[in-house]
Order: sequence, then structure tokens, then C-alpha cells
Amino acid sequence: MATCPRSAIREQNMTWYAFYGALEQGFVYGLLVLGVYLTFRVLDFPDLTVDGSLPLGAAVSSVAITAGINPYLSLLMAMGAGFLAGMVTGILNTKFKILHLLASILTMIALYSINIRIMGKPNLTLLGTDTVLDSVSNLGLPPHMSAPLLFACFCAVAVVALVWFLHTELGLTLLATGDNAQMITAQGVNTHTVIIFGVGLSNALAALSGALVAQNQGAADVNMGVGTIVAGLASVIVGETLFGCRSVARAMIAAILGSVAYRLAIALALGLKLGSFSFTPSDLNLITAILVIAALVSPQLKSRFRK
Amino acid sequence: MKRIILSLVVTMLCLVPVMASAAGKVISVSQFVEHPALDAVLKGTQDYFRDNKLDVTFNVHNAQANMATTVQIAAQIMGEQPDLVIAIATPSAQACAQKIHGTPILATAVTDHVGAGLVKSMEHPGGNVSGTSDMLPVARQLDLIREFHPGIKTLGVIYNSGEANSVTLVKLLKDACDAAGIKLEEATVLNSAGIYQAAKSLVGRAEAIFLPTDNTVISALESVVKVCRQNKLPLYAADNDSVERGTIAALAFDYYKLGYQTGAMAKRILFDGADVSTMPVESLQELSLHVNLKAAEAMGVTVPESVLSRAEKVIK
Amino acid sequence: MLVLDNITKYFNRGTINEVLALNNLNLTVNEGDFITVIGSNGAGKSTTLTCVAGGFKPDTGAIRINNEDITDWPEYRRAAFIGRVFQDPLKGTCASASIEQNMALALKRGKPRGLSKGVKDKDRPWFREQLATLGLGLENRLKDTAGLLSGGQRQALTMLMATMVRPDILLLDEHTAALDPKTANQILELTHTIVETQHLTTLMVTHNMHQALTFGNRLIMLDRGEVILDVAGEEKKNLTVDNLLQRFYALRGEAMGSDRLLLG
Repeated sequence: MATCPRSAIREQNMTWYAFYGALEQGFVYGLLVLGVYLTFRVLDFPDLTVDGSLPLGAAVSSVAITAGINPYLSLLMAMGAGFLAGMVTGILNTKFKILHLLASILTMIALYSINIRIMGKPNLTLLGTDTVLDSVSNLGLPPHMSAPLLFACFCAVAVVALVWFLHTELGLTLLATGDNAQMITAQGVNTHTVIIFGVGLSNALAALSGALVAQNQGAADVNMGVGTIVAGLASVIVGETLFGCRSVARAMIAAILGSVAYRLAIALALGLKLGSFSFTPSDLNLITAILVIAALVSPQLKSRFRK
Repeated sequence: MKRIILSLVVTMLCLVPVMASAAGKVISVSQFVEHPALDAVLKGTQDYFRDNKLDVTFNVHNAQANMATTVQIAAQIMGEQPDLVIAIATPSAQACAQKIHGTPILATAVTDHVGAGLVKSMEHPGGNVSGTSDMLPVARQLDLIREFHPGIKTLGVIYNSGEANSVTLVKLLKDACDAAGIKLEEATVLNSAGIYQAAKSLVGRAEAIFLPTDNTVISALESVVKVCRQNKLPLYAADNDSVERGTIAALAFDYYKLGYQTGAMAKRILFDGADVSTMPVESLQELSLHVNLKAAEAMGVTVPESVLSRAEKVIK
Repeated sequence: MLVLDNITKYFNRGTINEVLALNNLNLTVNEGDFITVIGSNGAGKSTTLTCVAGGFKPDTGAIRINNEDITDWPEYRRAAFIGRVFQDPLKGTCASASIEQNMALALKRGKPRGLSKGVKDKDRPWFREQLATLGLGLENRLKDTAGLLSGGQRQALTMLMATMVRPDILLLDEHTAALDPKTANQILELTHTIVETQHLTTLMVTHNMHQALTFGNRLIMLDRGEVILDVAGEEKKNLTVDNLLQRFYALRGEAMGSDRLLLG
């Protein structure tokens, strides 16, 4: 009879729905995490632009879909926009000699206003429109399972494409630029071009992620990018710790799985009950920090135990 | 390899099936952020059921203003398999509407249900979503301001251009001002840090300032009050809390009553077999007028007798 | 084939730290020259090499390679005909890339890069051949990351990479200074072999006067950004360390350099 704020009868830590929900979030943001891996680890370029390019992708895709354009085509458009945003950061850093961190923050700030301009308002709804999720809804799987499957496919394609690219002549220059810019310059490569391209590619991935997130959650909102880089970094680090990073291919798969692990950990924490204590979503930042610390410290602890 | 297997095992161990053996009906709530108005809505809804002695269990989830969390909460709610979902504020409502299709959803504290894509029209929602709207009757608030300042020619407004509700309201306000021959001076902010500047920028440009129900501005109301007191610039708001905090007057919703009304709609769906797709989106008709005499005096404004007599609450 | 024409370069111009690094430097390098460059600290030896490579733009003057004016060319563009080995043995290779990837990168120096496979199967046997000449066993470790190698091994690899694609000019900037004596000798031997076999035009900066006298057909001495001594051929063969010191005193009216220079 009582109307209690939390059901006293709920015993579970995580339902299958919540599990699939975490998978879904893990994979859809996994594309973003690939982008973060590309800048932070491969190019050694701290890039905060993604906080702006994720909603940029969402904005472009939503406006396109609302205008009647095919949702898959809107994804390509979103990627193009993200690439341009990344290029701006790259140009600010290489041609105008602005510190990479600062350059990315500048682009991110500018994108906030640009995104509102693109959408015409701060929130653009996609409810009731055709999205890429419709293409898997006929597979016979319930929607909460088909969405993670679709996003997992996107991730798989992205990983394969990126691994292939990083093993080409051009791709090798990306690896080299992030590792030893002086060396690759002495081998005839214009590192400016490489950085501009690399940061562009990373943000194209972030924008693709944003476009899919918007189609998944039913709206593009100008505030949806806040905290993206933190989640992305946490995912990269968790992935590296759990799954290793010995080869490029392995590191990329680790990034995606790290994204999934991160969202699972959050879902777990949100469902956790220790007596009367439970985490609330406002503890998200704290949980993220604890996760990353645990991930970074565990190798050290392990080696100490071995001794 | 070992690590991967270990991780999978740990994950599997956490998946314990739901033991949802609620005796009565279950309502799952997805609230976007903790905020006095939104909290009041929830309380109003819960009190409706308590006052009517109805057996209902509430599962409350709060996204703490994180968009990604709204989607995960929607997934969590699907696992709870409630009889009804209540979504408080637009982002939570959109996430629920996108993910939950079999269960009725009541979206409340949403300003524009049609614009948010939640319903086809206010009279005939058409899907599994209905609810209550907190759309301000801007025309009536403009009338109140004109009661204080009969010949007013320019009105200032401060809002966060990133809040969809505010953008919608300001557009409506502009239309109302145009119809009344008043010039609307807009000052936008991106976050609470810019509010002081925005308020100062309106000094000399506007004869009075109106603040819509904008989360960002209301959270930093004190800085606007300070500027208005210093420059004898009359300040009006659209929520009653703000009158306590220093605006001259407000013709506002009582969010608690909005919640109560939502509870009534929920009851009709849960216990009277109402069909959510044919329930029109409702809004509160009765508004409450609060006046703050001290603030009026500090800003050099005399409160008209007609206003004082109608006021539900007068702060001295 | 390389001409440095009246090069002047100030660093930190207009500040307290202003220094005149190169002072109307003139140098003509002929095809096939193996020039050793010596001088005391701050004389401008490394600066000269960096200037040729394109690390900075000179304030005045011009640089020409094969009569082409490359003064305005950025570093990466000049790399097409320049091979470089740095003093820091870690600077010439990518630690996180494998040996074969490093070599593949060097193989494409000066050529446009596309989307074909970075390390091609058909190149591997040739890579092994090249690595075998080093005598370090690296030919069996193609897939090892360069970061696993010692400083000496990495410097040897850098030498190989600098000359895999024949450079018009090879710049060696004290490339044995950071190595232990045994490894340093190995690298010097390697240098000698490569330069002789490929008839490379070379500029080798060294702090070691003994090295400077033993190697190469020509020796130049820099002091305060200028070339003050330039000997070649027979004259160079007959030079001794004492000669050099005397001639420096005669030119500059003061004793030359550091202990490192004399005893190194």
C-alpha cells in the first residue's frame, strides 16, 4: 500500500534489459572511443574536440533525417562534418601553433553555438522518424537486443577498416607521427598534414557515434556532448588494462570492449545495493574516477604480488 | 584470454533475475535532474495516490542531467516491466518514448510535447505517450507585467539558448510582445557564470526584465536580483520560488499541482482502463500569483491594488 | 653540389639570450666529399647541419643543392635528398613500430605514400639482406618493436634507414657521441663502409679530433659561426692534433676548446 521512493522488493543487481542496455551504450559510444584512442594514443594529441563533434554529428544527422534524407546517408554527412571539425583543431595546432589542448577546447566551444545553429534550436526530436535502427527491427529480435547487435556491427566494420588503414603506407605515417615526429619528418613526411588528417578522422568517428546516439535516444540535444571525453578516456584506459594493447588491432578491440566494460560497470554500480546505500547517477564522476584509478593501479599491484 | 573469461563470469554472476512481486501496480519514474520544480512534480504524483489510498509502488530513477544515463534508465525500466512509466522533463521523456513501446508513458514537466516528438497532437496523442505540459501562458504573464507598467515599450528576457523549453517560451513571448507593440530585448547565456553580465547588459535597454522557467537562470537568480536592485530595474519571474528569492511577482504554475494532476491521469490509466493514446495532453488552468512587496520597494515599483487583491501570497 | 651562401642566423633575436649562431657562413661541398666538422662548443656545428636539413630558416643567405635553391623549402621536403643520423640514438627510429615497419617508412623517403600495404612481402627479403650487413642479428627480428633494441642497435638501424634510399647528402650529427666506446667504434666502421660503398657525400660533425683526422677527405673547423679552417686531400692526411691546435691559436689568438675536444 505504501508509495515508497524505491521498491523494497527489487532484489536484482542488473536485469537482462539493463545488461543489453549497457552493451548498446558500450558499442554505440565504442566508435567514439576508437576516435579517442586514435588521438590520445596513436597521435599523442590530447583532443577535447569530441565534446563538440559528438553533438555535431547528432545535429547534422538529425537535420538530414528530418529533411527526408536516408538515415545511412545522414551518417556519412555526420562523419564529414566531424572530419571538418577535427581539421579545424588540427589546423589551429599546426599552422597557428596553438597548443593542442587549447586548440581542441576552442573548437569544442565554437561547436556549441554552431550546433544550435544547425538544428535551429537546442533540441531536435527524432521520435517517429526513420532511423538506422529500423533496418534491424525486422530481424525478429526484440529491439533491446537488435540495437546492440547493430552497433556492434558498426564497431566491427570500423575496427577492421582502421586496422587495415593503419597498416598501409599512409597509416604507418600516422603511427610514426605520434611516436617520433622528428624521425618521420626526416623521412619526408609532412607531420602537419598527418595531424590534421588524423584529428579529422578521430572526430569523424566521434560524429558518427553522435549520430547513432541521437537516432538511438530519439533526439539530438546540444548538451549531449558534455563529459564525452572523460567517458572516452576512461573506456580506453579500462580497455587497455583489461585486454592489453600489444598490437594495434588488439588495442582497438580493447578500446571497444573497454567502452562496453565501462558502461557495464556503471550499470552495475547504479543497480548496486549495500544495505540502504546505493549509487545514484550523480556519483557517475566518482565511479568513473575509481574505475580509471583501479585500472591504472592494478598492474602495479599485480607485479607486487608476484614478487 | 584468462582475463576475458574472468570478466564474462563476473558479469554473468551479476545477472540475477528480477523478483518483481509487487502486490499492487508498479510505476517506474525517469526524472531528468534534481530540481525543486521537478521534485515537486514527483511528490505531487505520489501524494495523489497516497491521498486516494491506492496501492502503487514507485521505482524512481534520476539521470542527474546526463543524457546517456536517460537511455540506460529506459533500459532499466524495461526490465522492471512496470504498469506505467512517468517521465519527468523532455530528455528523459524522449529516451523513454524511443525505447519503451508497450507500456503507457506519461511525460510531465515538458513544455512542448508536439515539438519534442512525443505526441502527434495535444488532443490526440496517438501513441503510447501522453502527459501534462508546463507550457507557460506567456500572454497572461505579459498582461501581468503590463498591469504593473501600463505603457511599457521594451521588455528584457534572460535565458539559456541551450534549453529547448526556454527557446520555445521566448519565441512565444516574442509573438505576444509583437502583438502588444512591445520590443523584446534578449540576453542569452550559456551557463550560470554569464548571468550577471547578461543582466547588466539589459540595464538601460529594457524597462523591466522577465525570467522564464529556465533552469540555468533560475539557479543563479540572486545575481540578477542584485543587478535589478542596484539599477532599479523591475524583475518578474514565472515560478513562485523566485518571488521568495527576490523578484517582484510571478504568475506561475504550482508544480506540485501539476504532479497531482499527472497522478490523476495515471490513476485513470491504471485503474479505470483509460487508453493513453486518446488522452489529451493536459495543462494546469489555475495559476497562482505571488507578490514580494520588499522587492517591489527595492526596485522602485508600486504594486497596483488590483494585483494585491488577487495575490495568493504576499511577501512583506 | 651543396652550397651554403652567406648564411647568418640569430637565435632569440632582440632578447637577453640573443646569440649569433651562424655568421656569414660559406661552404661549398663537392660531390663525393666526406667532410668532418669540428669546433668548440657553440661553434655552430650542429646548427650548420640543422640549417642544411631545414630545421630553421636562415636570417640571410641561401642554400642550394645541385643548383636548386632550397632555402625556403620545409624540412620534410628536403628530406627527399637528405639522410640524417642524430646524436640521440633513439631519435632516428620509432620505438613503437617494428623493425620492418621502420625500414618500410625509410624506404618511402621522398616518394609519395599511398594506401598500399605498409610493409610489403616482397620487401622483406631485401630488409633481411640489409640488416645482415650490420652483423647484429637483427635480420631475424624483423617483427620486434624497435623499442626493444639497445641504443647502439637503434643507431645502426638509423644509419641503414638514412641510406636505404640513396641520399644526395648524408648528415651525421655527432652520431657516436652518446654511445659507449665499443659500440661507437662499430657505428664508425659501419659509417665508413656505407659511405665508401655508396660513394655518399657526407658531412660528419664530431667532437673527437682523432676521428676527424682519421675519417674523410676534408676537414673544416668552425668557430663562432664561421668556417675558419678548411683542409683537404694530402694536407689533411698529414695533419696532427697539435697542428690543429696551433693553427687555431694562430687564427683566433686563444687556445681552442674543451678537454672533451682534445681528449675525447
